[in-house]
Amino acid sequence: MLNDVAFGQYYPVNSAVHRLDPRTKLIWLIAYIVALFLANNFYSLAVCALLLVVAIAASKLPFASVLRSIKGILFILLFTAVLNLLFYGGETVLVEWNFIKISVEGIIFTVFLAFRLTFLVMGSTILTLTTTPVSLTDGIESLLTPLKFIKFPVHELALIMSIALRFIPTLIDETNRIISAQKARGADFESGNILKRVKAVVPILIPLLISAFRRAEELGDAMDARCYSNAKNRTKYKKLTFKLGDLVAVILVAALIAGVVLLNIYGANIIPEIYNYIKIS
Amino acid sequence: MSTNAITLKNVKYSYSQSEDAPALNGVSLSVEKGEFVAVLGHNGSGKSTLARLINGLLTADEGEITVLGLNVSDKKNIAEVRRRAGIVFQNPDNQMVASIVEDDVAFGPENVGVEREEIGRRINWALKSVGMEEFKNSTPSRLSGGQKQRVAIAGVLAIKPDIIILDESTAMLDPKGRAEVISVVKKLNEEEGITVLLITHFMEEALFADRAIVLNKGEVVLQGTPEEIFKNGDALETYNLALPKITEIENGLREAGLTVSNALNYQTLARDIADNLKGKTWGNCKNTPQYNQGGEWDVDISNLTFTYSAKSPFATHALNGVDLKIKEGEFFGVIGHTGSGKSTLIQHLNALIKLPQAQKKYKAKKVKKGQTPPTMPQITVGNYNLSNKKCDFKSLRADVGMVFQYPEYQLFAETVFEDVAFGLKNFFPKMGEEEVITAVKESLEMVGLNYEEIKDKSPFDLSGGQKRRVAIAGVIVTKPKILVLDEPAAGLDPLGKKEIMELLHKLHKTWCKTVVIVSHDMDEIADNCTSCAVISNGKIVFADTPEKVFANGEKLIELGLDIPLAAKLLIELKKYGVEIDCNLSCKGFTKSVINAYKGGGNNA
Repeated sequence: MLNDVAFGQYYPVNSAVHRLDPRTKLIWLIAYIVALFLANNFYSLAVCALLLVVAIAASKLPFASVLRSIKGILFILLFTAVLNLLFYGGETVLVEWNFIKISVEGIIFTVFLAFRLTFLVMGSTILTLTTTPVSLTDGIESLLTPLKFIKFPVHELALIMSIALRFIPTLIDETNRIISAQKARGADFESGNILKRVKAVVPILIPLLISAFRRAEELGDAMDARCYSNAKNRTKYKKLTFKLGDLVAVILVAALIAGVVLLNIYGANIIPEIYNYIKIS
Repeated sequence: MSTNAITLKNVKYSYSQSEDAPALNGVSLSVEKGEFVAVLGHNGSGKSTLARLINGLLTADEGEITVLGLNVSDKKNIAEVRRRAGIVFQNPDNQMVASIVEDDVAFGPENVGVEREEIGRRINWALKSVGMEEFKNSTPSRLSGGQKQRVAIAGVLAIKPDIIILDESTAMLDPKGRAEVISVVKKLNEEEGITVLLITHFMEEALFADRAIVLNKGEVVLQGTPEEIFKNGDALETYNLALPKITEIENGLREAGLTVSNALNYQTLARDIADNLKGKTWGNCKNTPQYNQGGEWDVDISNLTFTYSAKSPFATHALNGVDLKIKEGEFFGVIGHTGSGKSTLIQHLNALIKLPQAQKKYKAKKVKKGQTPPTMPQITVGNYNLSNKKCDFKSLRADVGMVFQYPEYQLFAETVFEDVAFGLKNFFPKMGEEEVITAVKESLEMVGLNYEEIKDKSPFDLSGGQKRRVAIAGVIVTKPKILVLDEPAAGLDPLGKKEIMELLHKLHKTWCKTVVIVSHDMDEIADNCTSCAVISNGKIVFADTPEKVFANGEKLIELGLDIPLAAKLLIELKKYGVEIDCNLSCKGFTKSVINAYKGGGNNA
């Protein structure tokens, strides 16, 4: 039942992108999202698309696997598109019926937004496909380190994430076992109305919760016994190193932002006749 | 500084203020530096409390505990005590913090502020000491129980402790995993001079210790070398501990007048037996095995193949063409190590995993002319044809009871009564209140519990052994014709094991026609089963009576499986020209040797 859950969806190949420092990839993603939201015309958006293609090529990921990520947001994508199309307003009205107004500006905006969302999701997917959850956690911890000065529990947060990752496979196994055991006692999870099905989950959830608490307690003891405390002199074994590839990636994404800003400003001058149809206001 | 690693003086501890007997009631003991001491005791004898007190996870109510000269009750010392005395716990899954072996081993040294480069060196050293260096970058969920425990030991070692306490660290492992852990610990004790306190209920493990301490009801009742301890067979029994099998055989032979030494290895015992039988002639020792004729409730599996995550890059063949017959009336054993496919196999018996033809979406592939259609797997259990979509799977599951490993973890209801009645109400929704009560009562009494006393209790307030009994009651409440159990005795102490096996034999004689158990413990199979099958890599390697299966000793060892003690002794005896054909249980073996000694035939 739960065997097909591929958590984090890490795609194991050895590529330049896989080898990047997780911090670089996190910064890269944030910068990429900023660029996407800065872009106000299709020239800028095209530059964003170009960088996405470069990143996918460098990561050796099959294009289809990146594209598949859109499936998850397809509903939101269509929903917002329809809303935008019908209620955007705009001046060059094509159809008007009661409070519904379809305009040229509306169509342009809808298409633009759809691309922006798609690129955003594809960009994030590249991150999760090329980075193991473990190194992602390391990256987040390292990036959040400055927050220690305002007493934000960065290390504790990272440890919580790491323990959660560690226990996901264990708990999935356990869930499968409990489901089988209750099925063997005649439990039926597949038929009946919603109320019946919700009730049928109780014999799974209770043992699972109890076991999770028991595990937490035992883990707590084991951590205590291994000298865990909130002492300040704790050291860190894993060290992230910034390499040449990371520099290249950062330069690329900086260039992207610069390109987007320039095209936002000077885009109107390239072919002025069509500019009205490729910008959003 | 004293030479003692651990000293306890009149230590008392209770978990609650109520009238319950204290967990520890005035324990005094000492462990010298570099010593290997085993602490033995049944579940609830206070042995785990001891480990927690030494490490400062619990604080003693009375008395004094010093670890390497440090007083544990002084809060300032606790950090230092934990650095110098590490604990490895029971459940291998619940003591790892990281998803990568290397990171997990690093956790301890990080906590005590070791420099980065030094942590790297310690990880390599610690993993090498436990023989896990090649798994440095593996993820714990892919490791076997024994491997996980070795990583846990490495995690403790990396802090460079002087003492390692193993708090029932072997209780949840299979015999192979147990042997791995014990040999690692023995090596650390001998080569690194680490003081070891091994807390266990397996008497065999005490053989490796310099000294053993027996706890009962929170008090030290016996102390001495393992040999001295094992001389007190009767006393040990009153403390709910079982002698090692080998000592049991020796004692049995000695009573019958044979001269055998107190050796604790089977080679010496075999030599002693051969000496005793010298010059004796014994009649025909051939045993005539009793074949079961079978009946209405036979299980017939043919050509069973099963692949997990088929059509994906992670596809794994769990079963690869299994043919197996289990006749009505058998006490059947399924042997195989973790990952051999035995769990997948038994889940087919009550259609928890359905055959492909029986699944809703299944459509038979069209077969072109001239081609033979592929042979589909077939399973019949009594009158149920499991390859038929229309098979009544619900009543099949009521007739084939399935008890999973650690069944107590599936208890969920508010009261014991409701939990046991759960299956009954699922299978027979129209059953009357009176009938349900009668069935639940019978079922609880069958597993040896007092119905009136226990029915309204919460299942979570019971002891470990009681929980397991309630869980089994919840399965047998439908009076299944066939009862399948995956490792029914896992994690139990010797007494608990014995009781569960007795319960299964009782069920076999009364409600259930056939009992099928999955086990890694070869002696358990030899002692209890009428037939058994060995499964390896998704295939049945042998299926026959235990005597015939274990006659293939070498092949089984090649497959990474063990053989029962009696089988080892028989192989060894052959070297001295002594050939005895006997039942492979310890009792059967002892009886056959005695018969041969007295000059008669044997029919054990």
